[in-house]
Amino acid sequence: MVNQHDEAVTRLDSAVAEVFETMLERSCDPLEGEVDTIEGRIVARIQFTGAVAGECLLYASQATASVTAEALLGTPSEPHDPMVDDAIGELCNMIAGGWKSKLAAPDSDCSISTPAVTRDGLDGYQAKFITKFSRNYSFQGNVFGVVLAF
Amino acid sequence: MRALIIDDSAVMRKVIERALRQAGLELSEVLQASNGEEALQTLRENQGSGALSLILSDINMPVMDGLQFLEARKQENLAQGVPVVMITTEGNETFVLRAIAAGAQGYICKPFTAEQVKARVLPLLRAA
Repeated sequence: MVNQHDEAVTRLDSAVAEVFETMLERSCDPLEGEVDTIEGRIVARIQFTGAVAGECLLYASQATASVTAEALLGTPSEPHDPMVDDAIGELCNMIAGGWKSKLAAPDSDCSISTPAVTRDGLDGYQAKFITKFSRNYSFQGNVFGVVLAF
Repeated sequence: MRALIIDDSAVMRKVIERALRQAGLELSEVLQASNGEEALQTLRENQGSGALSLILSDINMPVMDGLQFLEARKQENLAQGVPVVMITTEGNETFVLRAIAAGAQGYICKPFTAEQVKARVLPLLRAA
């Protein structure tokens, strides 16, 4: 029997793969098991409101964020280029939107916020949410994490 | 041809512009706005300065979102007759119907390919 956790994770894997294949022309695979450390100081956040209330967080290292920005733009980026934060925000936006689009009614009747990006790490997020799905992904050796919290 | 791209993400504006060029559109100028209000101001300032051929707009944006932009554009009678294509992560039917009712002629969901942009945009340009 497929439970709520498995369904949410399957939808998330599918949304991540779709975004990477379509927009970055790269494959991106989930990492099974625990990942020791993701130096995830850059955090993008999308909020869900309506039938589903919660948030989607995407966190990545500076290096992974830079590679992501380069892949989206097709041009090199500087370490503190604002386009790097912008790219991570947009990546989170598309993943959250893709995840939402795979929900069935009535859960699909929800809205997503614009992305907010910080460089303060994950501390302080998700505290008010009860259910949490966390998943790590890798593309070409670059690792990032996604958390769905409700 | 001249196009206006409205998205709060500068990265996405560049990605959309690249997709338009990959679709074979010969863009002489690409105007950009990061929200609906900036887009309205751009349209006001560019009235009479050469025909705009296409508007592509996100929906979720701060200050003024894409649906509010469509309504305000209609009220101010700005760039009427210029096809508007929404490019957004909001793919559910409610948003699509609201966008079409407010004057959008096309709808593309993010993530998208250059081929999808071409397939939605070219027929609108031919019909305009």
